[in-house]
Amino acid sequence: MKYTVLFLALVLTAAFFAGCTQQAQAPSQPKEIKIGAIVSMTGPNSNIGKNMWQSATLAADEINANGGIFVKQYNAKIPIKLVQGDDESTREGGQKAVTKLITDDKVDMLIGGYSSAVTSAYEQTVAEFKVPYVVTGASSPIITHRTDIDTSYVFHHCPTTDAYGMYTTNFIDQVIRPAVNKKFNFPADRPFRLALLYQDTGFGIGVKTAVNDTITKNNLNIQLVSQQSFKMGESDFRTVLTNIKATNPDAVYLAAAPNEGAQIIPQARRDVGLNTIFLNVENNDAPEFYKGIGQYGEYAIIESRFSPYVSPKGAMEGPQDAFKSKYYAKYGSYPDMMGASTYDGTYIAAKAIENAGTLNKADIRQGLVTLNMPEVIEHMKDDTISFSKDYRESQFDLWMEQLYYNATIGETRPTIVWPDIIKTTDFVLPDWYKPGSA
Amino acid sequence: MYDTGTLLQIIFWGLYAGCIYILLATGLNLIFGVMKIVNFAHGEFLMIGAYITATVFFLTGFNPYAIILVSMLALVGIGAVVERLCFRPILGTSKLNEIFLSIGLIYIFTNSAAMIWGDEWQSIKSPYAGISVPIGSLNVPLDYIIIIITTSVILCGLYVFLRKTKTGREMRATSQNRKGAMLVGINVERMDILSFGIGCALAAAAGTLWVVSGQVFNPYMGSIPAVKAFAIIILGGLGSIPGAIIGGLIYGIAENGAAYFLGGVWKDAISFIILIVVLVLRPTGLFGEESE
Repeated sequence: MKYTVLFLALVLTAAFFAGCTQQAQAPSQPKEIKIGAIVSMTGPNSNIGKNMWQSATLAADEINANGGIFVKQYNAKIPIKLVQGDDESTREGGQKAVTKLITDDKVDMLIGGYSSAVTSAYEQTVAEFKVPYVVTGASSPIITHRTDIDTSYVFHHCPTTDAYGMYTTNFIDQVIRPAVNKKFNFPADRPFRLALLYQDTGFGIGVKTAVNDTITKNNLNIQLVSQQSFKMGESDFRTVLTNIKATNPDAVYLAAAPNEGAQIIPQARRDVGLNTIFLNVENNDAPEFYKGIGQYGEYAIIESRFSPYVSPKGAMEGPQDAFKSKYYAKYGSYPDMMGASTYDGTYIAAKAIENAGTLNKADIRQGLVTLNMPEVIEHMKDDTISFSKDYRESQFDLWMEQLYYNATIGETRPTIVWPDIIKTTDFVLPDWYKPGSA
Repeated sequence: MYDTGTLLQIIFWGLYAGCIYILLATGLNLIFGVMKIVNFAHGEFLMIGAYITATVFFLTGFNPYAIILVSMLALVGIGAVVERLCFRPILGTSKLNEIFLSIGLIYIFTNSAAMIWGDEWQSIKSPYAGISVPIGSLNVPLDYIIIIITTSVILCGLYVFLRKTKTGREMRATSQNRKGAMLVGINVERMDILSFGIGCALAAAAGTLWVVSGQVFNPYMGSIPAVKAFAIIILGGLGSIPGAIIGGLIYGIAENGAAYFLGGVWKDAISFIILIVVLVLRPTGLFGEESE
């Protein structure tokens, strides 16, 4: 009995000290911080997806060259490991990729996402596992505005279709409308005749809604003479352009993907004889668009925030040029704006983890909520990246470009024409331009 | 209410679109007529034809309309290999085998094309881009006139081959009654390989005309035209070449008419509405026969 009591006492004492030792032991430092990049490496959006992945890789390499991200909990810098999740440009592929990144790869946070439809489809999984996610490509405001799921872990670092539509409509009102009135001696109160041709998706409908809302809200003297839609992936626009031409527009605003926009403008000018100003959404500021439109793109307008071929004067000129040079040196091609925002997104992820000081996902989310860091390579409002309190959206400064044909390279190249503070040339109405008539 | 000139313009765009559909659907129907197989990867032959045309054009700078022959010949060869290695072993087995085989081929062809040519959208510029010809009240791009003429010449050539040559007659006989053709000494396996090759060559011609018209292309371009080609051959009647031609024209004009009168989003839908109406009224299609 005496020995039994002694034995039990020893066991309990050993267990007590073992417990104490375990409690005193600090959590082991991970070898790497895993950031999942959801990109379209295959399927129709693979061109953009590769650009996003390569840009994220460039940023991760730069961060790792400085030792990685400082995490206070471990009092050490830990390198980043980017883990690729190919959404295959489809909803199903996106769901598969994000599930694997979260459950198998056990990533600490997520960046990327291009198609709004694909991103929306897997957002439920992100919400369920509460993984901080910086969306750097999907442009629909619904990404963080939707109320059917908890989007509190999703942060939007990409201008939304609301911003595209608002900037472009204001540019039309402030620059194109007065230029047309002046050139053709129209009265100042003549309504500007605008036609819209938009992709029948959340992206296109978002742009259409933003244009209509901007006109109504600001009481602009712009009349929408035609609002035509087309199916995503369409390649023959001649009939719909013939329809638009019949409405005699002063300009046509296209909400289309680069592969669509690059066909619409040549078909309009070459086949239908619609010689007007075409305004394009920022995703068209990509090498494939310039290659596709050829000479027919001359004098067209693109709303932009990052261009492969021009940088805005001022503080961002140097960082943008450096990014393009590094990207070109490594991959032999130029980055597009989805690549630029994903490059930004990787730095945002690093800063959020550094702010959190741990790899706890709730803390990283809080690091994003309180984020206030200098702009990286894209022009931000107040030169700062932070997320709005309501919908967790960062605020970009956009600009408008006009394209000029360069016979030597056989493609057009952009110059910035608006706003005045960063423009390099004035907006020009070409000689062949024909204004609309009622 | 509607301007006549504009309506004629819409019909013209429909004729142009119809040419691409006709070539693709005729090839598909020729293969189905002889071999009775369903090949969902037929749109991928259009894609390969487009890439071959573009590659030869970039390398040599030849007139892309002349390259159509190179593209068609190359696809005769590729088609023959695909028939021999993939479809012949499963001929006469379950339709499911054909369906899954052809779906597998879609992935193989698109991924191979992406590996060889990259998956960026590409385009080429026709030497006649920008030249228009006034026809009545219309100002018609020269390229589209050439495309319509080229399609007509190819179809006339196919007609002469099928009607006036011994091999063409043997092919038709195989299409009408495979066992009967075997009994009279026709080498039906040779007819299979030949029809598959010619069907692929017609898809290649459609691909060439696609790129010379200035439309962009990438490895994933084949799926939508293939779906439409299937709808056309069902509309025109399975195995019927005239049915494919009329069906292609109907689709081209109907799609463009719908885009004009109802809006661009109705463009694809109208084709299938017509298909449903025709199948309800005439289940064998416009030119199909009961036995088919």
